[in-house]
Amino acid sequence: MLEVKNLMVFFENALALNDLSLDVYRGEIVSALGSNSAGKTTLMNTISGLIIDMKVKEERKGGERITIMGEVRFEGEEILSAKPSLRIRKGIALSRERHPIFPDSDIEENLRISTYLRRDREINKTYDFVYDIFPPLKALKKRRAGFCSGGEQQMLSIGMALMTKPKLLLLDEPLLGLSPAMQNSLIQAIKQIHREGITVLVAEQFARPLLPIVDRGYIIENGMLTLQGTGQELRENPEVRSSFMGV
Amino acid sequence: MAEAIRYRKERIDRGIKARTDTIYLLSSLRDMVYLFLPRFLPILLLLLLPFFVRGGYWEKVLFYSCMFALLALSWDFMASVGLVSLGQALFFGVGAYISGGLNYYLKMPIFLTIPIATLGGALFCTLLLFSVLRLRGVYFSMVTLILPLLFAHLIETLDILGGTHGLLSLTPFPGGYPAMYLAIIGVIVCLFGFRKLISEDFGLVLRGIKDDDRVVMAGGINIHWYKAQAIFIAGAVGCFAGALMTHYYQFVGRSVFALDFTVLPLAGAVLGGPGSFAGATIGTFILVPLSEALRALGGLRMALYGVILIGALVVLPEGLFHYIERRYHQFERDARV
Repeated sequence: MLEVKNLMVFFENALALNDLSLDVYRGEIVSALGSNSAGKTTLMNTISGLIIDMKVKEERKGGERITIMGEVRFEGEEILSAKPSLRIRKGIALSRERHPIFPDSDIEENLRISTYLRRDREINKTYDFVYDIFPPLKALKKRRAGFCSGGEQQMLSIGMALMTKPKLLLLDEPLLGLSPAMQNSLIQAIKQIHREGITVLVAEQFARPLLPIVDRGYIIENGMLTLQGTGQELRENPEVRSSFMGV
Repeated sequence: MAEAIRYRKERIDRGIKARTDTIYLLSSLRDMVYLFLPRFLPILLLLLLPFFVRGGYWEKVLFYSCMFALLALSWDFMASVGLVSLGQALFFGVGAYISGGLNYYLKMPIFLTIPIATLGGALFCTLLLFSVLRLRGVYFSMVTLILPLLFAHLIETLDILGGTHGLLSLTPFPGGYPAMYLAIIGVIVCLFGFRKLISEDFGLVLRGIKDDDRVVMAGGINIHWYKAQAIFIAGAVGCFAGALMTHYYQFVGRSVFALDFTVLPLAGAVLGGPGSFAGATIGTFILVPLSEALRALGGLRMALYGVILIGALVVLPEGLFHYIERRYHQFERDARV
């Protein structure tokens, strides 16, 4: 479904992603594991197209020059230079790191904003779908998003991505800053999203709750792929255990 | 599959930059020139300019440019603390009226009115703005935008300080050069002084307040005290310019609170590149003579500033100075990936 081939991203002279290749097949949960500064967020931004916008802005400012090389294919189509909006239309949605939401709008309005690009009549069904996956959101529908807890905001952020009715959901560090209980319920939610037929690619640092549910995983270090395998294989790898599971 | 050779553009510091960054002793002439040329050339140029424009219309333009450069430097200094002011005219007008008033009513000599106006005016402006220091962003800007208008209307309606006629026949400077050189030296001192100040510990706190004032507060620093100090410094510069202008024209009237003294310095700072002080100076020294040359357009001048401001923001948002600086220190080449 998604093929990333020999992807290289430079921020000025710093190499953020080095010759990275990975595949995500339809109906999988794939994780990209890496420590801080490994390049996870850059990878997510490159797949979702946000980096194109960053690149243009930096160019205008005369700031860091961002160079992107390689191939990103979605359903066989080359999308490396496509704008984020086009990628959303094709079915790639990203829930960004640190759950950015619109703090002054209530939860329902936040979800509604994400349906902006949709023209079909099934939007109401998607609301039910999101509320079904994240029941707490339904109870808080009219609450201003800025007043919600970190966990609720994270749910909302994923919910917003789901409102675009994606085929491939990208999650950038969904577990960041959440309590273990909240992490567990999010993992259950990811499982449920996956059961509904959405392919998921998760970037994360903390692998312990995540690895049991993933089909395959990639380990990224300093922008390079160092290891790949099934969830089971990674869980048994001693280095992965010490680096990403805290064992 | 044959791997195609790919190139990307790469930016590298010039060798001479890397070398001169750490110079503490006398080294080769070339290094010294590289280091000192961009600093001494503008100073030399500024100091020599009065001889070339002596006594003419362009002498006034040069003086005017210095006034606006001082205001732009003062704006840039406040902006680097995160206080975006839309009322540099406040400082200018307060300085102008204090020195004008002291000279007109108390017959004080020029060498007393200017220092008193500079320090007293700065103190007055700081106290005036003290209550709104807690405001951030656009709210602070709105207050500063309103204050000069308020003063202009106060003077007009209450008919104080000369009212609509202004204060006339004030003491002039002895000859042309003292005023000009006070202005030029003021610009040079502010330019290099601010650049130094902002890179010291004091400036570190100020820049911290701009980046994230809550973090600075969490560090146990009283940000309101620092903001007040910054306003005092910026205010002193603005008031100094106002006081000089008053005695230069031997006149002070409501026009010192005019929008020109707010918009032009801002336009200059944006054109030159905010945050570097040098940019603000370069920007005003381009804009003011340009606007004088365009005086024939009359009312369209202000519209033209607007166009230049928007154009600069779109085409070169980093500002002239940052662009020149980058070209001076770095070069680009194709690098093989």
